[in-house]
Amino acid sequence: MSMEAAQQTFIAESRELLVNMEAALLTLEKTPHDTDAVNAVFRAAHTIKGSGGVFGFDALVEFTHVMENVLDDIRAGRVKVDADLIALLLACGDHVSLLLDCLSVKDSAAAFAAAQPESHELQAQLNCYLENEAAGLPQVHDDLAHDADVQRIGGGDTVESDAWHISVRFGHNVLRHGMDPLSFIRYLATLGEIQSIFTLFDGMPDAAAMDPESCYLGIEIDFVGAVDKATIEGAFEYVRDDSAIRILPPHSKVADYVNLINDLPEDKTMLGDLLMASGVLTRNELDEVLRLQQRLDEETNADNPDPLAHTQRIGDILINQGMVQSELVNAAIGKQDQIKQHKVLEASNIRVHAGKLDELINLVGELVIVSASVGLSAKRAGNIDLLEAASTLRRLVEEVRDSALNLRMVPIGETFNRFQRVVRDLGRELGKDVELVLSGIETELDKTMVEKINDPLMHLVRNALDHGIESPQQRAQSGKSPRGQLRLNAYHETGSIVIEVADDGGGLHRDKILARAIERGLATADQPLSDQDVYQFILEAGFSTAQTITNVSGRGIGMDVVKRNIEALRGTINIESEAGIGTTIVLRLPLTLAIIDGFLVGVGKSAYVVPLEMVFECIELSQQDRLRVRESGYINLRGEVLPLLRLRDVFETKGEPSKRENIVVVQYAGMQAGFVVDALMGEYQTVIKPLGKLFEKLSGISGSTILGTGEVALILDVPALVQKAVGSETSKDRPALEHRMLERR
Amino acid sequence: MTITLTEAGKDASKLAVNGALTIYEAASAKAALLEALTKTRELEIDLSGVDEIDSAGVQLLILLKREAVKAGKHMRLAQHSAASLEVLDRYQLASYFGDPVVLSPDA
Amino acid sequence: MTKKLIMVIDDSASLRQVVSIALKTAGFDVLEAADGKDALGKLDGRKIHLMICDVNMPVMDGITFVTEAKKLPGYRFVPIIMLTTESRESRKQEGQDAGAKAWVVKPFRPEQMLQAVTKLILP
Repeated sequence: MSMEAAQQTFIAESRELLVNMEAALLTLEKTPHDTDAVNAVFRAAHTIKGSGGVFGFDALVEFTHVMENVLDDIRAGRVKVDADLIALLLACGDHVSLLLDCLSVKDSAAAFAAAQPESHELQAQLNCYLENEAAGLPQVHDDLAHDADVQRIGGGDTVESDAWHISVRFGHNVLRHGMDPLSFIRYLATLGEIQSIFTLFDGMPDAAAMDPESCYLGIEIDFVGAVDKATIEGAFEYVRDDSAIRILPPHSKVADYVNLINDLPEDKTMLGDLLMASGVLTRNELDEVLRLQQRLDEETNADNPDPLAHTQRIGDILINQGMVQSELVNAAIGKQDQIKQHKVLEASNIRVHAGKLDELINLVGELVIVSASVGLSAKRAGNIDLLEAASTLRRLVEEVRDSALNLRMVPIGETFNRFQRVVRDLGRELGKDVELVLSGIETELDKTMVEKINDPLMHLVRNALDHGIESPQQRAQSGKSPRGQLRLNAYHETGSIVIEVADDGGGLHRDKILARAIERGLATADQPLSDQDVYQFILEAGFSTAQTITNVSGRGIGMDVVKRNIEALRGTINIESEAGIGTTIVLRLPLTLAIIDGFLVGVGKSAYVVPLEMVFECIELSQQDRLRVRESGYINLRGEVLPLLRLRDVFETKGEPSKRENIVVVQYAGMQAGFVVDALMGEYQTVIKPLGKLFEKLSGISGSTILGTGEVALILDVPALVQKAVGSETSKDRPALEHRMLERR
Repeated sequence: MTITLTEAGKDASKLAVNGALTIYEAASAKAALLEALTKTRELEIDLSGVDEIDSAGVQLLILLKREAVKAGKHMRLAQHSAASLEVLDRYQLASYFGDPVVLSPDA
Repeated sequence: MTKKLIMVIDDSASLRQVVSIALKTAGFDVLEAADGKDALGKLDGRKIHLMICDVNMPVMDGITFVTEAKKLPGYRFVPIIMLTTESRESRKQEGQDAGAKAWVVKPFRPEQMLQAVTKLILP
C-alpha cells in the first residue's frame, strides 16, 4: 500500500461522497426537514475535510471547512434550509469535484490557482450564513494555570540551573484511561535529556485502601532540551485535565521555586532537599528559598491568622476556576445529544480493484478454453469415467464463469440516478418543467459498460429535454399537462439489456426528417421507407432539423456519435415516435462483453460461433428448399417468411458446399433470419477475444475466439447479419414475396 | 501471569512472578503479594519472568516494600528482567528498593 | 520481539490507509476497521496497545464503541485516541466520560498523529 494508492482511494471515496451529497441536497430541496439528508450532506463535507487533511490538501480542507461550519449550523437548527442555500450547496459540491480534478492534473498547483477565485466567491457566500450568529465561543484555555506564572512573591534572583523543572502529580484515574506516566517519561526522553527524576508516592494510602488500578505517583523531573514550554506541556497533554502539572523554565526566579514548594502537597523540607539533590537548586539558592518561604508564612499569618488559608494552594483555586470555566463553556456550547444514528443500509460490500477483476475474468476465460479442450480429448479417448469427469468439470467451470462475470454486474440505478441533477439543472436552464421517472433501476449490466453508456445517455437525455419536450406554454396549448415527463427504463431481454429513453414531448416529424434526408442525398423521394427507417436518419452525422441551435444541442454533432458509441458496444438503436405524443429511443446492448455461450457452425474449412442466446432453432435444409433458396433468398418456415443468408456467400468461402446444408435460425430484436451453413457442431462456451484494429471494420464479425482444438473461430455479429438479411428483403422483394406466400397457400 | 512460591519458609521466602505485571493483573497480584509477605519475614521477588510491567505493577512493588518496612520485615527484588529493569530505571527507584541489581540472563 | 498493535477505526478508507502507512513505517503493526461494529468484531482477544478511533462513523459511532470496548476484560485499560473535528458539536466531553482521554483534531497530518501516538506508546 503506497501513498499514491491511498491518494487514489481518497479521490474515489470523495467522489462517491459527493454523489451522496448531491442526492441528499436534491432530497432536501423537496423535504427541507429531512434530518437524514442533512446528516448525509454534513458527513460528506466532514469526511472529505478530515481525510483530505491527512494528505495535506490544504485548498480542499479550507473550502470544506467553511461548508462544514454552515452544515453544522443547519444540523443544529441555527440556519434554515431554503432554495438559495440548496443552490449554493450544490454549487459548492461541484466546486469540490473541481478541486478533486485539480489533484489529478499534471500541473496541480496551476489548476488550484485557477480554481481560487471560485473558491473565494463561494466561501464568501457561505460566510453570509455564518455571520448571522452569536460571536465566537470563548476558547477553552490550554493551561489550567498551575504553573509558576502565578507569583505570590515578586522580584528576586534567578536560579543558575539551565534545566527545566517539571513537576507532575498524576490524577488517580490516569492508569484506567490507558495513560501511563512511563509513556510520558519515555516520550520526554526523546525530546532531550532527563537529568534527574524523583518518583514520589506519598499519596499512596495503606494496603487496605490502596486501589491497584489507581495512580498515586508523582514525578519531579529536571530536563534539558532545545524545546519550548508548549512542547513540554504537549508531552503531558493527555493527562493535563486530570493531573497537576507545573513547569518551571530554565533560570526561573527563586521565588518561582518558593511558590512551587508551597503548591506541592509534600513536606516542604523534603521538597527543598529534593530540588537541591536534583541539581536544579544550588545550596545557596535553597537557603534563599527557605528564607523567602519563611517570610511568606509570616506575612500570610499576619494577614490571616487562619492557618488553613495559608495552606490553600493556588493550584487548587485555579483548578476549581478551570472547572467552572469548562462548565460555562459547555453551557454556552449548548451540548445536546442530538446526533442520531442514521439508517445506513448494511450492505456488506467490499471494494475490489477493477484490474484484479479483469485478471480474474481473463483467467476464467482461459479456464473455459482448457475445459473445452479437456472435453474434446475425453470424447476422443472414449473413457466413460473421463467423460463424466470432463462433463462435471465443464459444469463447474460454467458456474465459476457465471459467478465471475456476475461480479462485474452493477445495477443501472447508479447511472440513472445521476440524471436527477442533470434533468433538474437543464430543465431550469431551458425553462421547461420536467419530471424524471426511473424504472428498472435494479437491472444489472456489466460495469465496463456503465462507463461507456453514460455519454450516449447524457446526449439522449439532453436532446429529449431540448427538442423533445415542449415548453410549459406549448404543452398547455396542446392540452398536455405543463409538466413534461422523461422516462428512463431498463430491462433484460434474451441476452441483452434494453435501455429506453422516452419523452412525452412533440414526437419526431417524419416528413421534415425525410425532406432533410433527401436534401442531404441520404434518400430519394420514391424510396419505400418505413417510419423506423426515416427516424434512423437523425443518427447521421450533421443531421439536424432543429430550428434553433441551442447551447445544449442542435448542432447535429451528437446523435451520430451516440450511434457510434452504441455500435462499438455491439448494440443497436431503435427509434419509436408518434407526432404530438412523444419519442422513445430504445438501446439494446449485449449483457456481457467477455464470455459467451456459443453455437459452433462450420462453413467450408472455417468455424464460426453464433451467440447461443440468439439461436432459435436449427433445421436441415431440404433438397427442395435448397433450390428455392438459390433463387429467392428465403424459405417458408411454418407459414412465415424466413429470410436467409448463405454464410458461404457472405464470407466468400471457397470450395463446394457440402452435400448437406443446415439452417441456424436466429432471432434479434423481434426479427428472425436463417444462416445457411454446412455443419452444425454443437454448443461451445468461448472467451471473446477482441478483433485487432485491422479487422474491426469487418461487417458481420464481432470478435474471435480460440477453440479447444486451438483453432480460431470467428464470432458472428448476429444483429448486423440479421439486419442485412431482413433489410435486403424489405427494400426489394417484400411485396413480391408476400404475393408468393399467398400463392402458396 | 502467575505468582509462584519457589521457596517457602517462615524466615525467608522466594516469590517468582511470571508473565505480565500490569494494570490488568494488578488486582489479583496485589492480594497474592501481600499474602506472601504476611507469611514470612524476608521476601525475595524474582522478577526474571516479568516480560511486561507498567506503573500499576511498579506501584504494587512499592506498596509491598512499604508494607514490609512498616512491619519491620525485609523485601527485595532480584533477577530483574529487562522489562522490569527499564521501568525501575525510568523511575529511578533502584535506590528505594535498595537492591544490588543483578541482571537476569535476558536483560 | 513482536511489534505493538494499533487499531485504526475510521469510515474513511483513505484516511485509514495513510495513518496505517505512517504507523507501520514507525514500526507498529496496524489493524483497520471501518466502524465500531466492525472493530468489535475484529478484536478477537488480541492484545491491542492503542486504539485510534473516529467519533463520527455509521453503524456504530466512536463513543459507543469506546464504551462497549472498555467493558471487555482484556480492553478495559487500553489507551484510546479519538479523532474529532473542531466544530462545536465535537462530543469531546462525552468521549472523555467514556474513557477516551486523548484527542487529535481533524484535519491532521500524519506526523501529528505519529506524535500523539508516541506520547502514549513507543514502537
